Formats: sequence, structure tokens, C-alpha cells
Amino acid sequence: MKRVIEIKMGGLEIITDKECELKTFVGSCVAICLFDLTSHVASMAHVMLPQKSDGLQSLAQKDIGKYADEALSYMINGMIQKGADPKKIKAKMAGGAAIFEHESETSLFNVGHRNIVYLKKILKENGIPLVSEDTGENFGRWVRFNLQSGALTVASNLKKFEKTI
Amino acid sequence: MYLLKKTQEIPIVNLDVILSNLEELNVMSAVYVKCDGDLHMGALLYLPENKSKILASQLLGRSIHNESEGLTMSSISEIGNILAASITNAISQDTGYKICSSVPGYAVEFFRTLLEAVVSDFGNEFDTLVVSHVEFHGVTSDITIHMLLLQNPSEIKKFMM
Repeated sequence: MKRVIEIKMGGLEIITDKECELKTFVGSCVAICLFDLTSHVASMAHVMLPQKSDGLQSLAQKDIGKYADEALSYMINGMIQKGADPKKIKAKMAGGAAIFEHESETSLFNVGHRNIVYLKKILKENGIPLVSEDTGENFGRWVRFNLQSGALTVASNLKKFEKTI
Repeated sequence: MYLLKKTQEIPIVNLDVILSNLEELNVMSAVYVKCDGDLHMGALLYLPENKSKILASQLLGRSIHNESEGLTMSSISEIGNILAASITNAISQDTGYKICSSVPGYAVEFFRTLLEAVVSDFGNEFDTLVVSHVEFHGVTSDITIHMLLLQNPSEIKKFMM
């Protein structure tokens, strides 16, 4: 039976055990998953925001996944330390929904979209290919990553679907 | 009738403490109003979706069908707007702070999704949020609306000045 590690809001985990699965729940936040299947190293972060507004680096390890820039830097370095080949690291992501709908045309709460755009920018800067994504829309998603297969399973209890990307 | 149930400072990574056991069973109708100006605050109002349709039909004076989703959204948003504005007006009158409220945002989702969206919209600078849970209970309708008021810890200090 697989061991499931649940990642809380702003959390981040790196695994090397193929019997482990990483799991989180995202609405407007984004679950970003980096993996190197040949070295069997994977990481998932529950990203809440693109960047920290004060520019200071977080000291707390428990919410190292909160900001996209800090999370990706920590994930890449941590994975390399655990044996990942930086040239073989790939990415998948899910989430970034716009949960609240407005009657006005302009949406004030577009943090989901900003998270997606920013994460794609950092991935590109680091030369990490984004191989699949399930992002946007207006509903929350359960996200599960399997290190053995590299499959990212996305499910919505509200929309009643489950798919693998 | 209203009741301030609890006020607590919660680490953002530990929001599970305010997720009830029913969070994946009940789909909620929710309204989120964001307040800016001299005081920054978020107000999330929610009630079970089936109850929101009853409330909307009482407001509109006719039954709500599936084709009237837009009317449900408008009427529930209006209630959210009125309740949030009542609070910001009271705070403004007591403190003299100028507070501007956003256009209400409306969503139908599980509580976990609503909470996650509001917190991610809110929690940039701090690792904790001060969350107050208020209940509004309609004596004749027997409908309960929940409201979470969210503030950064530094904003709470403004009430003490």
C-alpha cells in the first residue's frame, strides 16, 4: 500500500521513495510538481502567491512552498541534493482557479491566474519543461502525484471528475 | 440574532483547524467582500447552497429554479454586501477609519475551496491570520449564515489605538 504525504497550504515535500504519493488540495493556489523519473526524485509545493511582497527570504521551513519563487528554488536545489539530474527535471501543475465570480467585468481576485503566469515564467527561466497542466476554471481540485509512473491525478468532488495528466 | 462564536489567530499552514467535518459534504454558496483603505479586512459569508436558494426565493418573492442561477447569485451577493457593509460602517463610525469595500465575489463550492481562495488572496505578508467566526440566525426562516472575518495580525492592533 502506498504511503500518501498530504501537503498543507504553503507546504512543500521532496520524496525519493517510489512507494510514496504526494497529495494536496488547491483552489486558487497551484500544486506544482517537479520530478526526475530516472533518479526517482519528486517534489510538490502548494504555492499560494507569486512572490513575497517584502522581498525578504522566508525563514520558516513549514511554509517554504508559499511563494512561487522561493518554492521552485528550494525544490530544484533539494532535488539535486537528493540525486536528481537537473537536465531531466520536468514539471506538471494543477490549480490556479478563479473561485469567486463577479458581476462586474474586472476581477479583483485573480491570484490564481497570477500564480500560473509566474510559475510558467520561473520554469522557463530554469529550463524546466512543463509537460502537462490542468489549470484555471472556477473549482477546487484534489491533486495526487505518483513517483513510480509520473502521473498527476486531478479530481474535483464538485464537478465529479478524475483525470490523469 | 447574531453570535460571535470564536476569534483565533491561525497559522496559514494550519487552516485545517477551521475546516469542519462537513466541509466535503455540503456545497456552500459564498460571498467574499474585500475591504481596503485605512483598514484591510476580508469578509467571507457562506451558507449551504440549498438554504441559499430558499433565502433567495424569500428575497425575490418567488421560487428559484435552475434557470435562475443568476438571480440567486445577485440576491445572495446583495445580502453579503449588506452584512459586510454593516460591519465596515460600524467600524468606520467607531474609529473614523475610511474603509472601501470591493464588489462582492460569488462562488458555489466546498468550504475548503472557499477558504483556500480567500486566504491565498489575503495572506501575503504574514504567516498567520486572525479569523473571527460570526453566525447570523434568522429566527423565522431558521436559516443560518456564517461569516468569517479575516485580518492580518497588524490590522487588529489598529482597533486598540
